[in-house]
Amino acid sequence: MKIKTHFGDALILFLVAAFLVVPLVLTFFYSVFTEWMDILPTGFTLNFYVEIFSDGAFINSLLRSIIISIIPVVICTISILLVLYVITLYVPRLEKYVEILCNIPYAIQGVILAAGVISLYSGKPGFLSNRIFLLVGSYCIIVLPYIFRGLKNTIGALNVRCVIEAAQVLGCSKLHAFFTIVIPQMKRGIISTMMLAFTMLFADFVVVNMIAGSAFRTAGIYLYQTMSKSGQISSAIIVILFITTLIISTLTLMIQNKAVKSTKRREA
Amino acid sequence: MTKTKKNTKLYLLALVPFFVITFLFEILPLINVVIESFTKTGGGGFTFEHFIKIFSTRLYQQSIFNSIWISVVSALAGILIAFLGAKAANAASAKVRNIFTSVLNITSNFAGVPLAFAFMILLGNVGILTLIGKNYGISFLADFDLYTINGLLLTYVYFQIPLATLLMLPIFSGLKKEWREAVGLLGGNSFHYWFKVAIPSLLPSILGTFSVLFANSLAAYGTAYALLSNNIALLPIRISQQYIGEVVQNQEFGCALSLVMMSLMVISILITNKFQKRTGGAS
Repeated sequence: MKIKTHFGDALILFLVAAFLVVPLVLTFFYSVFTEWMDILPTGFTLNFYVEIFSDGAFINSLLRSIIISIIPVVICTISILLVLYVITLYVPRLEKYVEILCNIPYAIQGVILAAGVISLYSGKPGFLSNRIFLLVGSYCIIVLPYIFRGLKNTIGALNVRCVIEAAQVLGCSKLHAFFTIVIPQMKRGIISTMMLAFTMLFADFVVVNMIAGSAFRTAGIYLYQTMSKSGQISSAIIVILFITTLIISTLTLMIQNKAVKSTKRREA
Repeated sequence: MTKTKKNTKLYLLALVPFFVITFLFEILPLINVVIESFTKTGGGGFTFEHFIKIFSTRLYQQSIFNSIWISVVSALAGILIAFLGAKAANAASAKVRNIFTSVLNITSNFAGVPLAFAFMILLGNVGILTLIGKNYGISFLADFDLYTINGLLLTYVYFQIPLATLLMLPIFSGLKKEWREAVGLLGGNSFHYWFKVAIPSLLPSILGTFSVLFANSLAAYGTAYALLSNNIALLPIRISQQYIGEVVQNQEFGCALSLVMMSLMVISILITNKFQKRTGGAS
């Protein structure tokens, strides 16, 4: 039996989708027209994109955003993999405490985390008050719950202890087995978790604005500063940032779906 | 389980990076926030003065009230729209449902400063809809003031909808067709089905969703900051103002405000956990 969509349901779905899509589409139109004084915009142009891509300051801010989002994700992922190694093979009862530490960030989201970190470290001597160092550290905490959950679910789908024992019987050390057998099996899960975490940091504004501000201009800060100068260039920046995020999150979804399929196949 | 206890506990070294990071950037800052919020401005002795100031000054009372108000109202609006959306999507054909889910996934990335900007060009002082409203005499568009708490509420409702609907969709697929048939066999109509069967069975998950949305908008900062900069009484804005911004900075006071906001967060998380436990962690 083919399910047909009722008119009432279709109308609701259309209205909700329209409310969500309109601001997005308008931002895009705004970036490709010179004037918009009535219902329809006039003067199609791609000059705003040419301008923004030839602006070295914007390109640099985009690169800064990408780098400052990748580094904490890598650090956090490695740290959590190491912790999971100890939890699964040596001290299972540690998991409870690690879980608590990985859930605290939910309560200190955004502004609270930034306030806590600045209050503690600003004015301290040496590298401790280095803004980039503080930003990397805070970013690790932001993504901590998501990376922990993602990796824990991935490792939970594998029968790690069995695999390691088999490897040990064959004369392989636990450490060696974990990094050459278990982690390669987790590849998809690790990559999709890292990409999800990346998009979260890439979109960050609050923490970078409070901790680094104009001292470390990421694309978010650059956009904020451009907003008061040029509407059209701002909308072009938004479109570029949005498409970047969209590509990464679409890839993430694809990898996750493949991972689900492959585990299903393994089970079957 | 085989316990191969070696003499050396070298594996404990693997814990070092994790505990260093969480100690330096989670535990220490957290302890410090608590200590500093009871410390006199500029260092020195123990005091309650920051909390007395927060709960007796109009601006900060208003900030706490506004933060709770906008979070509750936007979460309720988000849930209501998500409920209707998820209900419709659940009844729709697979193709329509997939398109709708894609729209949700795409727009769930649209938040913060970009979202504020999109609403400015839509409904700001010279926004497209505002101009159309002026040109054609549609007063509710022409007179809509985006730069108020109600304008801000609209942007908050926007970013709640995709998240809320994505959380509600799987809940809806848990409703069984047989229940509806059973209600019909017993002589009930669709009102009975929704209000006696479906909604009560969805309620724990809906409440769980509510507190996720509540925390989501309580912590939101970029949209409000881009739209109103420091000209609004909202907790995250007042906290950040103690560290950046034109007024005199007061880090200890900022910590006290953070502690207040953190308590609100913790309350909403505890409520979520309570409901999730009751449903056996189903959501």
